[in-house]
Amino acid sequence: MADDSEMESSLKPILDQKSLKWVFVGGKGGVGKTTTSCSLAVQMAKVRKSVLLISTDPAHNLSDAFGMKFGKDARPVTGVPGLSAMEIDPNGTITDLISAGGDDAQEAMQGLGGVGNMFQDMAFSIPGVDEAMSFAEVLKQVKGMEYELIIFDTAPTGHTLRFLQFPTVMEKALEKLSALSQQFGGMVSNLVNARGGLPNGQTFEDVLAKMEDLRNTIGDVNKQFKNPDLTTFIPVMIPEFLSLYETERMIQELGGYEIDTHAIVVNQLLFPKKDNPCEQCNSRRKMQKKYLEQIDDLYGEDFHVVKMPLLVEEVRGVEKISSFSEMLVKPYEAPE
Amino acid sequence: MLSVLLLVFLLQLFIHLLNTVGKQTVNDLLWLVFTKLPIPQAKAAGDLSTLRSDVVRLAREMKATSAQDDFAKWARLRRQHDKAREKYDAEASNQQSLRTTFDRVITGARWLGTQGLQFGANTWYSKQAMFWLPQGWVPYQIEWVLSFPRAPLGSISINVWAIACASVIKMVVEGSMAVWTLRSGVVKDGPRKGEAIKMEAVPGVGAKKEL
Repeated sequence: MADDSEMESSLKPILDQKSLKWVFVGGKGGVGKTTTSCSLAVQMAKVRKSVLLISTDPAHNLSDAFGMKFGKDARPVTGVPGLSAMEIDPNGTITDLISAGGDDAQEAMQGLGGVGNMFQDMAFSIPGVDEAMSFAEVLKQVKGMEYELIIFDTAPTGHTLRFLQFPTVMEKALEKLSALSQQFGGMVSNLVNARGGLPNGQTFEDVLAKMEDLRNTIGDVNKQFKNPDLTTFIPVMIPEFLSLYETERMIQELGGYEIDTHAIVVNQLLFPKKDNPCEQCNSRRKMQKKYLEQIDDLYGEDFHVVKMPLLVEEVRGVEKISSFSEMLVKPYEAPE
Repeated sequence: MLSVLLLVFLLQLFIHLLNTVGKQTVNDLLWLVFTKLPIPQAKAAGDLSTLRSDVVRLAREMKATSAQDDFAKWARLRRQHDKAREKYDAEASNQQSLRTTFDRVITGARWLGTQGLQFGANTWYSKQAMFWLPQGWVPYQIEWVLSFPRAPLGSISINVWAIACASVIKMVVEGSMAVWTLRSGVVKDGPRKGEAIKMEAVPGVGAKKEL
C-alpha cells in the first residue's frame, strides 16, 4: 500500500490491505491506544468477516472502553457485528503453569529432586520465558479460533517491544532445550521413568514432542510477524516531546526487529476556534503545531500520519467509539 | 658458508636487541608496517578511523541540535549516528580480532627466530667443537664444563660459546651505555633521571699526570 509519494493521512490504506492478519497498536501510556485500537477494530469489523481485539495491557481498558466485561476468552462485542474482544494477562508465570498441573506436578518435581530443580532453574534463567509462555498460550488459542484479523492493544512502550520480541526469545530458548534434550534426553528419561513417569501418565518423549511442536508454532508466527503483508504496527502518540521521542525510538527498534510500520496516529489534537478566549488552549495549540510540523517533516514521506482531535467528552461506549472511528478513515475537518 | 661461531654471535646480538626494544614495541612497529601494506586488511584499518571521525562528527552535530525545537533534524541525525555507530562497533571488533591474530603470529615467529633457532643450532652442532683449547691450559674439570654437554673434551661447545657471546654483548652494551652516560654527565635512568652526575674530584690525580 505504501507506494504513493504523497501518503494519505488516514487509516484507509490499512483497512484496504486485505492480506493483513495481525495489527499491533502501541505507544506510551495515556496517549489513547485503547481508544484507537477499539476504533480501528470497529472499522475493521465493517470490512472483514471476523475481527478479534486482544488487550495485553495489564491495566485492561477494553472493558472500560466498550462498557462491558471481557475476560480470558473471546467474547463478541454487542452492537458491533463481527467483532470479538478478550483480555489476557502477560504476566502469567511458569510457576502458574507448574501449579496448573496440580499438586501431582509439584510432587513429581519434588520427587525428581536435583533434576527437577535444575529444570525449574533453567526455565527461570531464560529471559522472558514466562511471558513468552503465556504469549504462546494465546497464540495457540488464537490460531485455533481462525479469526480473519487480530488486533493487539499492547501495553505501554517497554512492554510492547518485549512482547514482540517473544517469538525470537522463545525460539532461541526452545532450540537450546531441544539441543540439551538430545544430549541428555536418554539419561533424563531413564531417571523420570524410573520414578514412575510424569504426572497424568506422560512420558518424557511426549513432553519433548510437545516442545518441538511449540517451537514450530513459534517459528511460524515469527515469520508471519516479519512479513509486511501480514503484520503491521501502528504507533499512537500525542504531539508532545516525550511521546514523539519514544515513538521515534520505537519505530527504529521495530525496524531492528523487521516489523513493518507505515501508519502513525497522532491523538488528542486541539482545534480551538479562532476567537477562542482560552489562553491555555491557544498556547497549547501553538506547541502542538510545532511538533506536528516536525512529525510531518520526519514521517510525512513514509507514513500515513492520521490526526485525531481531542474531544470534549470521554470516548466510551460502542456508539461514541463508532463515531470517533469515522475520523480514522475520513480526516477530521477542524471547525473554523 | 657462514662460520658457526659468527652465526651464534649474530643470533645472540639479535636476541639482545629484540629484548632491549621490547616485545610490545616490536609488535606495534610491525602492525604499523602491516597497515601500510597494499592489502584489503590494511585498507580496513584506514576505513575504521574515517568511520570513527564520522561517529564523532554526528554526535557533535546531534548535541548542537535542540531535540525540542528541531526534532525532525535531530531524529535524522540520530538515525545516521546510530547506523554509523553500529557499523563502527562491528568493524572495530573485527579489527580487534585481526590484531589479536596478528600479534599471535608475530609472537610465534619471534620465538621461532630467536629461542627456536638457538635451540635448533644447539642441537644441530651439539657434537661439534667450536674451537679447540691448547692442551693443558685448563684442568680436566674445567675442560669438561667448557665442552658441556656433548662436544669432544678439550673443545668449546656451542652452548658455552652462546653464553659467552651473550655475556660479552651484555657487558659491551652496558659498558658503552656507561661511557655515554658519563660523557653526557646526566643520569639516564632510575629515580634521579635527568639530574647531573655528581663526581668528586680525586685529589692528586691531575697532579700526577703533570709529572
